[in-house]
Formats: sequence, C-alpha cells, structure tokens
Amino acid sequence: MTLTAERTRTPPARRTPRTGRQGRETLILMLPALVPVLVFSVGPLLYGVFLAFTDARSGRNAETSFVGLANFGDLLTDGDFWASFRIGMIWAVSVTVLQFAASLGLALLLNENLRFRAFARVLVLVPWAMPPVVIGLMWRLVYHPNAGILNSVLTDLGLLSHDVDWLNDFSVALPAVIVVGVWTGMPQTTVVLLAGLQGVPKELYEAGHMDGASTWRRFWNITLPQLRPVIVTITSLDFVWNINQFGLVYVLTQGGPGGQTRLPMLFAYEEAFRYGFFGYAATLGVAIVIVVLAVLGVYLWRQMREVG
Amino acid sequence: MRTRTALAVAAAAVAVLTAGCSSGGATGGGTPAEPVTLKFLSLAWQKESIAANKEIVAEWNKANPRTQVEYVQGSWDNVNDQLVTSFEGGDPPDVIHDDSPALAGFASRGYLMDLTGKLPAELKSDIPQPAWDTVTFGDGKGGQGVYGVPFLQESQVIIGNKKLLDAAKVRIPTPETPWTWDEFAQISKKLTKGGAFGTAWPLKSPVNKVLNLGLNFGGTFFTVDGTKATVKVGPEEREVLQRIHDQLYKDKSADPSALGMGTADPLPGFYAGKYALLPAGVYLRQQVVEQAPPGFEWITIPPLKGTSSDQGATSQTLSVAADSKYPDQSAAFISYFLGSANQAKLARGDWLLPTSTKAASDPSMTTKENGWDVATASAKNLVVAPYLRVNGFDEWKTKVATPALQQYFANKITLDQVAATLVGEGDKVLERYSK
Repeated sequence: MTLTAERTRTPPARRTPRTGRQGRETLILMLPALVPVLVFSVGPLLYGVFLAFTDARSGRNAETSFVGLANFGDLLTDGDFWASFRIGMIWAVSVTVLQFAASLGLALLLNENLRFRAFARVLVLVPWAMPPVVIGLMWRLVYHPNAGILNSVLTDLGLLSHDVDWLNDFSVALPAVIVVGVWTGMPQTTVVLLAGLQGVPKELYEAGHMDGASTWRRFWNITLPQLRPVIVTITSLDFVWNINQFGLVYVLTQGGPGGQTRLPMLFAYEEAFRYGFFGYAATLGVAIVIVVLAVLGVYLWRQMREVG
Repeated sequence: MRTRTALAVAAAAVAVLTAGCSSGGATGGGTPAEPVTLKFLSLAWQKESIAANKEIVAEWNKANPRTQVEYVQGSWDNVNDQLVTSFEGGDPPDVIHDDSPALAGFASRGYLMDLTGKLPAELKSDIPQPAWDTVTFGDGKGGQGVYGVPFLQESQVIIGNKKLLDAAKVRIPTPETPWTWDEFAQISKKLTKGGAFGTAWPLKSPVNKVLNLGLNFGGTFFTVDGTKATVKVGPEEREVLQRIHDQLYKDKSADPSALGMGTADPLPGFYAGKYALLPAGVYLRQQVVEQAPPGFEWITIPPLKGTSSDQGATSQTLSVAADSKYPDQSAAFISYFLGSANQAKLARGDWLLPTSTKAASDPSMTTKENGWDVATASAKNLVVAPYLRVNGFDEWKTKVATPALQQYFANKITLDQVAATLVGEGDKVLERYSK
C-alpha cells in the first residue's frame, strides 16, 4: 500500500537510481520463489520447444539430431493432425459457447431471489468438486450401452427403440463428449458470471424500469454491457482450458471411435507415448501454445484497451 | 556481503542437486550377497488368474529368500504407455508381463534384454519353435534376439448354442474334420430363422481378429523386406473380409447390431438364443461358464478351415527390462514361473492355451469339460502372425486399419475402397518407421 502511494508521488525522473538498488533487493528476495518457477516451469517449456526442432524418438538406441523446421513442415501436411485440430476446435468452441449460454442462464436464475437460493448455489459447485477422471468414469456409466441410465430412461420414455452406444458411435461420440465437457466446466463459469451480476448497480435497472424497458431490453442493454469484461475474461479462459483438455476425454473415449474424439492433446500424447515420436509430439505442443497465445493475445489486448 | 551470501546459497543448492543426481545413478550393480527384490509387473485381470499369479509368486518367495519378488498389478488398458514412460525414466519393473505385438516395438528400441542363453534348456525345449517365433525380433541394430518367454496363446474358435445346433441337425465338427468357411456360411444361413441370426461378429476392434483369421486363406496383409514393411491386400487378404461382409449384408445370417460390440458384449444375446454361433477367442468360454443361465448347453467348435486352418498367433509374454539391475535373477524367476506345472495353472486361470507342451498334455487341459479338448487341440493351428514383424503396426492399426475396417463392416465403403485405404494410407504410416 505505502509503496504504491509513495511511487505515485515520486516524479519519474528521480525514480531511476532508486529502482537500481530496489531492483536488486527485489530480485534477491524473489529468488527463492523464482527458482522453482524456472526449474519446474520455464525449464520444461524451453526443453519442449527445443525438442520440437529435433527428431527425438523413444528408445535407448535412438540418436537425436537437429532437424530445423522439418517437424513443422510435416505437421502442416499431416492430415491426421488437421483432423484432430478440427475436432479440437469444434470441441473447444462448442463447449465454450454452450457452457457460457448455460452458465449465464443459471447465473441469472441464481441471482434472483429464489427460495433455497443458498442451497442451489452450493449444488451448482458440485461438478467442480470432482476430479476429471472421476467425472469421466461417472459419465461412462451414464452412457453405458446396456447398463447406462441414459439409455434406460430414454427407452422408458419411448424415445429410443434400441440401445445406443453413445461413446462408440461415430456420429454421436463427439456430441456426447461435448455434453460432459459443458457439464464439467459450468461451475466456474457460473460462479464468475454470478459475481459479475452482483456487481451490476441496481440503479441502472431501476432507471430502466422507470423508462418502461422490458425485461429483455433491460437484459440486452444493461446486463450484457455491464458484464462484458467478465464475459470476455471467462470465455477466453474457458477456451484455453477446453482446448487443453485431456484427462476427461482420455477417460471417456481415449480418442475413439476411429479418432472421432481425438483432441489435439490426445493426439500429441499418442504420438509421444504410444508411437514414441517425442520430437513430433513436442512440435504439436508448440503449435497448440501458439493457438492459445493468439487467443490470450486478443484477450489481453482487449483488457489493455479497456484499462487504457 | 549480500551478494556473497546469495552466491553461497546458490552454490550450496547446486552441490545438493548434483549430489542427488550422482547418488541416483551410482546405486546399480547389487552384490549377489545381499537379498534382492525384483519388481514383477503382472497384467492378470481375471480373478482366478490373479490368484494363480500371486500363488506362484508366493511359492517362489518362500523357496528363494535371497531373491524376493514384489507383485505389481498392471492393466492391459494402459500398460504400454506406462512402460514407455518407465523405460525412458530408467526405472522399469524387472520382470514384465506383456504381449508379443508390444515386444516387437520395445525390442527394436532397446528397452528389453535379449534372453538368448539365459534360459534353461528344459524350458526352451518345452515350448515349440512357432511360439518362440512370436518373441524373436530384430534389436534395431541389425541383430536378432529373443525378447520374452511366450506362455499363453489365444486361438479363435466358435462357441455354439448346442440346442439350436441339434435342432437344425447340423454336422458337429471335430478338430480333425473342421467346418470350412463355406460350410460355416451355409450353416449360419440355416440357423437364421424366426428373428434369430446364425451368427454374430462383434467387431468393435476388428483388426487383430481379421488379420489372424486372414491366414486361413494365406492372407498375410504385409510384405516385410528387412526392416521395411509394406501393406498388401490381394485376393487372399480379401477372402475373410468379403465372407464376413457377405454374412452381414448378402446372406443376412449375421446380426448387424453386434458389429459395434466388444468380444464379450454379445453374450447376453447369445444366451437368449438371438444368435446360435459366436466366433470368439478361447478365453470367452470362462464367461460362458460363469454367466450362462442354468440349463444353457454350449459347445466349442474348432477353428474354421479355408485353404488351411492356420491362424495368426500372438503370445502373452514375460520379459526382462534391459535396465534391470538383476538380469540373472529375473531370468531365473521367469524360468520358474513358466515351468510346465505353473503354465497349466496360469492357462486354467485365464482360459487360454499354454505354450508348454507338457502343460498342454496335463489332464485338465485335455478334458472334454468346457471344451478344453477342442481349445487345446486348436493350438496346433497357430503360426506366428505376420504383423508381428511390422514396425509401426500399432499406429497402422489405430490410425488406418481400425476406422477403415469398421466402416467397411458397417457397409459404408466398398471392399476396393477399404483395400485402397489400408495400402495407401497404411504405407505412408509405415514409412515413418523405416527411416
């Protein structure tokens, strides 16, 4: 607190000599915290980037050599990669959008003065309390062709004449997995949106009411614009989370049937640990980092512009 | 002053780190005087089989106090990913249970120890050469080696509903006079009536099944030239593909709704008489014995005959990691574990065929009960599966063959299209491995 207050008072010209000494002290103080970051986070990242330019393969008698951009060239012409990238984009975009829509609805509902509101708010958090692997196992049981609750409910309602093998059918596997993705990611999105909703000044709604704006207009012209920074933040973060999703889909389908749910991360995992092409898998990782950075770039740029 | 302290701290940290690393690397080469502990990764999953595995380990531990074996439970689902990580990390289990398709890749990458000369003559002569062929691979440097001991094998038989077969008055085959594929097709047609189908092909994972049966007509699917393999789908390879497809869509004697099922999934329908014949691996008999409703009568029908009854075989295996610190003790444990008496026990536990000739002549392996006589007799039809010699088979299987065959059997593409995909895209995949 005092530090910032002091700094705002100091004119920029006289700050330079101070920062020199202060900077060194800060550095020494930060060192214990920086070491783990460098060793466990930056180190592996740089190693991964380095691997992307080699032909590293698994095996004791494999020799690694530098291959320049060859892996990137292969990647651009690899039909399987593009198929997987397409699936990844369908997955990330649809999960993010559906998640947002469902969560906004839920947040609006929970923002109203309902009975058992506190209880409902706690219930909403339940999926968050489960690790992705447990969620995957649970939904595998839900989707089970013979013993799953989904098939039996739909059959009882007369909507299905024969059991559907949800996770093994070429056309429904991806949608089925997307539903689980939406369900899993809803708590954090809902909570963030709810927090945002509570920050919208009540006076604006009162004013809107006075002017005779309908519920829909109030939502469109007050709620949405007020929520915009929150929406941009949470959807960008959701997108990054979703495109990097691995555990959930790995447990649900392992990328099957026939690669219909092979997200980019699963593809990279298979390349590395199944087929042993470490270099190529690292290239895939780098490619995804670039995509994520692009999304984050847009997000940060907007944030900066708003602050500016 | 402050800088110096910081430097000292950093130096100390570096010292600790290097010390940690070097002590990690130097503890190898345990002296034989001290008792050693081997890690044994087992993939047994059926209850009886886990019990048999643990029992044999306990017997060994009692008899060999100086070489203790620790039983580690693994799972077929992710064992190969797990092994790659532990091989690369340098701390693999000493004794590894796996199967021959996986060994081929591991051997060429130098992860496994060549067992040539490490096994007693008794064990070597007890297991016939065709079984040893399923574990003999190139070492990735131009040599050949034996990278595991084969112990359990699976053949494809047909499990039949006895009442339905008797009612239709069909000839019940014996191992000496098996059904031909033509006969099988006719009988399936005959059994298809009143809403029931003659047979059901559960083809969720079609590749190994089709490739193993392909040998009935001499279909090898690959030509291997040194380390370079190419895919081939000629008239021999097309036979089995076409015949299964015909049963599904021309004769309509095979239930199309079973296509997406795994091997054990059609069993409830089979008990209910929805299909009379169920092509399956010999191990499926166990589930039939355990789950079939009382009064359900079934028989094991020997492998079909095309131009021959040959089937591609792979084996379950025990191997020693190249990084193991106790190679001799590990080899000794394997030799004990796979002695003929133990093999019979393991085969009973998993309802598979033992490779040991002595174990195969054990009365429990030749009894008429539960079709053991037919199952054990089918071992003579097993020859090494050609795809075991193919570098990159696993990737070909997952990326190319599984989706292509699934689409073919779902009648979405034609035989010519599937053949073109298997060869065209397949060769592209295999090319990466011959570099």
